[in-house]
Amino acid sequence: MSGVRLEGIVKAYGEVRVVHGIDLEVQEKEFVVLVGPSGCGKSTTLRMIAGLEEISGGDLTIDGRHVNRVAPKDRDVAMVFQNYALYPHLNVAENIAFGLRIRKESKEHIAASVEEVGTILGLTPYLERRPADLSGGQRQRVAMGRAIVRRPKVFLFDEPLSNLDAKLRTQMRAEIKRLHKRLGVTSIYVTHDQVEAMTLADRIVVMHDGRIEQVGTPMELFLNPANTFVAGFLGSPPMNMVKATIVAGEHGPVAEFNGERLALQAIPSLQDAVGKQVTLGIRPEFVKVAPEGSTDRVTIDVDLIETLGSEALIHGSLMGEPFVVRTETVGQMSVLDGISGITIAPHLIRVFDAKTGEALPGQVLAQ
Amino acid sequence: MTREQDPTVGQTETLVVEAREAQRHRKVGQLERVGDHLKREWQLYVMLIPTILWLLVFLYKPMYGLQIAFKDYSIFRGVAGSPWIGLEHFQTLFGNDQFIRALKNTIIISFYGLIFGFPMPIILALMFNEILVQTFKKTAQTIVYLPHFVSSVIIAGIVITAFSPSAGIVNTFLGWFGMESIYFLTKPEWFRPIFVGTGIWQEAGFQSIVYLAAIAGVSPTLYESAVVDGASRWQMMWKITVPSILPTIIIMLIIRIGNMLEVSFEMIILLYQPATYSTADVVNTFIYRQGIQGGQYDLAAAAGLFNAVVAFVLVMTANTISKRYSRTSLW
Repeated sequence: MSGVRLEGIVKAYGEVRVVHGIDLEVQEKEFVVLVGPSGCGKSTTLRMIAGLEEISGGDLTIDGRHVNRVAPKDRDVAMVFQNYALYPHLNVAENIAFGLRIRKESKEHIAASVEEVGTILGLTPYLERRPADLSGGQRQRVAMGRAIVRRPKVFLFDEPLSNLDAKLRTQMRAEIKRLHKRLGVTSIYVTHDQVEAMTLADRIVVMHDGRIEQVGTPMELFLNPANTFVAGFLGSPPMNMVKATIVAGEHGPVAEFNGERLALQAIPSLQDAVGKQVTLGIRPEFVKVAPEGSTDRVTIDVDLIETLGSEALIHGSLMGEPFVVRTETVGQMSVLDGISGITIAPHLIRVFDAKTGEALPGQVLAQ
Repeated sequence: MTREQDPTVGQTETLVVEAREAQRHRKVGQLERVGDHLKREWQLYVMLIPTILWLLVFLYKPMYGLQIAFKDYSIFRGVAGSPWIGLEHFQTLFGNDQFIRALKNTIIISFYGLIFGFPMPIILALMFNEILVQTFKKTAQTIVYLPHFVSSVIIAGIVITAFSPSAGIVNTFLGWFGMESIYFLTKPEWFRPIFVGTGIWQEAGFQSIVYLAAIAGVSPTLYESAVVDGASRWQMMWKITVPSILPTIIIMLIIRIGNMLEVSFEMIILLYQPATYSTADVVNTFIYRQGIQGGQYDLAAAAGLFNAVVAFVLVMTANTISKRYSRTSLW
C-alpha cells in the first residue's frame, strides 16, 4: 500500500519548533492537500516527507516502510517545485529524462518513457526546446513530466501553480486533477490557495502554526469547520464572525447581540452554553436578502455592493462587525439597491466558543 | 517600352524615395529617443563621466603615441616631428631573434597558464562549494585568497627563498630523499613551471570568487530536485553546477584569451635572470629592456602594438566562436 503515515512528526531548528507533532495518514491513491497561511509549516512537512529536511521527531512511513533515515532517492517519491526546478541547460526531453539517466536506466526505456510522458502532458512538440523557450504553463507541465516519468509511489507538490497567472492556474489545476485520476498515484499537495485546496483535494489538511487544525473532505471543512481559524481560512469570502451571547429563548437557547435575537439550531451543547459568549459563524452564501417587513429579519448597514456578474457581494456591518453577503443578481438587482436586512437560516449558523474558538459540539451540517 | 510607358520605373523610384524618407524618420526617431533617455537618466550619465575621462586620459590619449611604431622617433623631435618610416620597425622586430624568442616564450607561458591556470579557480570554487563545514570553508578560502593581496615583490622573495639551493624548503625536501640540490631559478627548463605555478598560487584563489558567485546564483531547488531524483554530489556537480556556471566560464575564458600575451610582466622581471632568458624572456620584458633600458621607444612601441593587435584578434575570434557554439559572448 503506497500510503504515507506521519506519526508525531516534529521539526525543530535548534530551540525553535516549527512543526509540533503532526499525525496524518494519507491513503493509497488519495490526493491530500496541505493548506494554511505562510509559515504554518506545510512546506516543511512536505520537505520532510521528501527527505529534504531532517525529521526532528516522530515517525514517517511510506508504503509501510519507516523512512526517517532513508535518503530522498530511496523513498521513491517525486516532487514538483514552485519554481519548476528545470535545468536551463537541458531541453525538455533531457529534463524529463534526468531522473532516469541518473538511475542509469537503459536508453530504450528512457526514450520510451519520455515519449509516453510527452504524449500524456501534450509536450511532444516541445521536447527539443529549452525551458527558457517555454511558457509558464509548459514549464510546469515539464516539471510534472519529470515527476511522473519515474512512476514513483508518491507525488509531492510544493505550491506548483503559484507562479502562474489566474487563468493558467485554473487550466493547470484541471490538468493535475485529470493526471491524478489517470495515474492514481498517492499525492500530497501544498498550497496556500484555498480554492486550489477545495478543487483538487480528496481530503484537506488545514495547518496553522505548525499544527493540524482539521482534516476532512473539502465539503466537511466548508460546512463544519472545527474552529474559527478553519472557518475563516476556507471559503471566499471567508465566513462572517459575529460576537453574541447565548440566552434562553421561548423555544430553546438563542443568540443575542446588541438587542437582536437570532434563532439557532437545536443542539444539546447549547443548553449548557446559556450565558456564554460565543462567536457565530455565518457563511456569506448562507444568507438571504430579506425585504422590508419579513419575519426573522436582521438589519445590516450596507457600505458597498460588488457586482460580479451572476452574483454580487454585499459588504456591510452587522452590529459593528464586518459582514459580507453573497447573493445571486439575476432578478434581484432592484431588491439589492435598497437592501437593509437579511435572514439567516438557524441550522446554517455555526457556533464557536468565543474564548477557545472551537466549535460547540454536536453541530453537524449534512453535505 | 519607353520610360513613360513603363509604370514600374516610376514606382521603383517612388519606393526608393519612400524608403529613404522612412530611414530618415527612423534616424530622427532614434535621436529623439536617445535625447529623451539622456534627459530622463541624466544622473546615471553624470556618474559615467569619471570613467569616460579615465578611459580617455589613460587609454585613448596614449594611442596618439602609437604612431611612433611607424616613425624614426627621437625625443628631441617629438612624436609629430619624427619622420615616418613605414613598417621598418616591424621588419626589424621579426628579424630580431630576441623578439622571436620572446614571442615564442610568451605564447608557451600563456598556453601553460591557460591549460593549468585557467581551470584551477574553477576547481577551487567547485571544491569550496562542496565543503559543508562553514568554519573550515572560510578558513580555506582565506588561506587561498591571501597571496593575491601580497605584493609581487614579496611573492617573488618567497619563491626565490623556497627554491634556494642552500636553505630552500624544496631543496631541503629533495635532500631528505638523498637528491642533490637544484638551483631551480638558474635552470631555463624550470622557469616556466615555477612561474606558472607561482601565478596559480597567487591568483587562483582570488579568481575563484567569480565562479563562487556564479555558483551562488544557481537555484537551490535544482539541487533539491536532483537529490529527490537520486543524484549523488558528484553527479550534481557535473550535471548541474558546471553547466550552470558555463556562461561565466566562457566569458572568463574569452577575457583570458584576450589577455594571453599579457603575462605577468613584473613577476618575470623579479624572477628571471640572463641565465633563464631563453625560456623566460617575454614580449613585455623585451619591450621593457628595449624601450626603457635601451631607449628604443619606437621599436618597443612596434612590439607593443603587435601585442595589442594579436590580443584584439584573439579576443574577437574567441568571442565569435563562443557566440556561434555556446550562445554566450562578451558582446
